[in-house]
Amino acid sequence: MPNIIACFKWVIDEAYIRAGSSGELDMRSVNYKLSDYDRNAIEEAARIKEEHGGTVIALTVGIPGGTKGLKDALSRGPDKACFISDPSFENLEPSQTAAILADVIGRKLDYDLIICGEGSSDLYARQVGPRLAETLGIPCISFVQKLTIDGNRIIAERKVEEGIEVTAAPMPALVTVVPDINNPRIPGVKDTLTASKKEVITITKDDLSSAYEPTLRTVSMTAASMERNCVKFTAEPSDITAFIEALAKEGVLR
Amino acid sequence: MAGVWIFAENLQQTAELLSIGSDLASKLMTTTSAFLIGNTDSADDCIAFGADEIMELPALAGDQPLDAYIPVIVAEAQTADPDVFLIAATVRGKDIAARLAARLKTGLCSDCIGVTFDEGNNVLEMDRLAYGGAAIQKVACMTRPVMATIPPGTYKPAPQQSGRQGTIRELQAPQPSPSTVLERRPKETQVKDITESRIVVCAGRGIERKEDLSLVQELATALGGEIGCTRPISEEAHWLPEELCIGLSGISVKPDLYIGLGVSGQVQHVTGIRDAKVICAVNKDENAPLFGAADYGIVGDLYDVVPKLIEAVKKAKA
Ligand SMILES: Cc1cc2nc3c(=O)[nH]c(=O)nc-3n(C[C@H](O)[C@H](O)[C@H](O)COP(=O)(O)OP(=O)(O)OC[C@H]3O[C@@H](n4cnc5c(N)ncnc54)[C@H](O)[C@@H]3O)c2cc1C
Repeated sequence: MPNIIACFKWVIDEAYIRAGSSGELDMRSVNYKLSDYDRNAIEEAARIKEEHGGTVIALTVGIPGGTKGLKDALSRGPDKACFISDPSFENLEPSQTAAILADVIGRKLDYDLIICGEGSSDLYARQVGPRLAETLGIPCISFVQKLTIDGNRIIAERKVEEGIEVTAAPMPALVTVVPDINNPRIPGVKDTLTASKKEVITITKDDLSSAYEPTLRTVSMTAASMERNCVKFTAEPSDITAFIEALAKEGVLR
Repeated sequence: MAGVWIFAENLQQTAELLSIGSDLASKLMTTTSAFLIGNTDSADDCIAFGADEIMELPALAGDQPLDAYIPVIVAEAQTADPDVFLIAATVRGKDIAARLAARLKTGLCSDCIGVTFDEGNNVLEMDRLAYGGAAIQKVACMTRPVMATIPPGTYKPAPQQSGRQGTIRELQAPQPSPSTVLERRPKETQVKDITESRIVVCAGRGIERKEDLSLVQELATALGGEIGCTRPISEEAHWLPEELCIGLSGISVKPDLYIGLGVSGQVQHVTGIRDAKVICAVNKDENAPLFGAADYGIVGDLYDVVPKLIEAVKKAKA
């Protein structure tokens, strides 16, 4: 019965980011969400538990304000959550996130399998999973679209350019998953209610064995601009004609 | 020792990375070294593309994954202390790069789309997309080596120069790795490359059934273009191959005309059509974000609009 850790990140929902007038990012009306592919990671952990038994811990590192994310994650099936939190964990870069997760996992948590999303929807650097595995010294299979537990090893279908690489690794191991692996559940009211009763282990910066300085510095973050005409037509015949005429005028119909 | 190092899965990618790699090496006044995988005979080609040193990685056993090379590469890097390490951002390349960076305790710019060298401060600044493509993040690596993964196709291959000299060195064979590849299943069909297509009609989640893709195809054919799709169509529904998925995790297209049918226009998708000349949207939700990123939009049910468009296009072209 595997002990599974599903890692997740509580991120800014990029759909709410606007471009400011001087190319800066306007974050005034942003909302947060559970990073898209981490939902697949949590779902996969829950699915394996349903099939094989064991436990699922949802693990995250972030600022204390991220408690809503814990509840969201817990409403998707994990038994408990572990929250490594500090106000300074606002803009961690991948090497820091991976090092902090490895510190806590290595010293405090029992595990056979770690599941991460392929990448977070904010930075999408796709580094944390592989870095975490390497730091813990365990096998890593990334970009997995199908996962099976076979005794004390995992068999993973990994999506690469030329097709599928079916790879086996002994546990403990880490996988990162792509969205095709499953359809994450949509938590219902009951799930949300039970989630608030589940245990949350909080770990602070003082519990870590090192400070983990950044290796990558963000020099600037600017809005990717996109200026377009934004002319709208209806489905009325005259509008369809006008639409086609507009395309002809642009010289794109040949 | 120092240098600009390059790791890619094939010669084409190596030549692309040597293009930017040689450029950086000359600015940093150092040399370039490229890894070559397996028993290839392309060392001389690589030297002609600009490599000063070739590090040959002995071929893997059939069931060894590519990441079996990680310990060999780490050992070399720890001895030679490269300045910069560029890796082709293939699926395996991204994985290997992150793991190398962890072992070498250094920073990595993922999916780097541009590098500039700030001579005054002697730092490399690297651009990448963030927030699904809504932002450009410029990063600098504060540790050695400066690492980046660069998507294939970002740079043109370096020109071949005849008469270049370089050294060739064979590295140790990798140890057996804990993971084993049980099977390699190639893709069944070859898919047409639409990255250079002049007209792309894109199928989004607004398409209700797989059969209805024929409607999208019909419009594409009438226009003389190709069909592409959003990620839910390729990855979740598996109605179209992922080579046709446009956006952050798929391909970028730069057609004269792009028409999105039932595409909401989330930023991760729009990032892949930024360089299209004219962008059009057909969506029944007038608030769909794609309208904000489009030159021309039609608010309406695609099942009503597309047949009308097909007629009108045929008429216009007749
Ligand atoms: C890290 C990350 C990477 C991603 N990479 C990519 C990527 O590379 N490419 C990509 O495409 N997505 C990517 N996505 C997903 C992306 O965020 C969106 O979920 C996706 O693009 C939405 O696809 P869609 O527009 O087809 O579907 P939806 O968002 O579901 O939109 C469907 C649209 O169809 C309209 N519609 C429905 N019925 C009709 C009808 N009858 N007539 C007209 N309109 C209709 C609806 O109004 C709606 O706007 C990524 C996401 C993440 C988190």
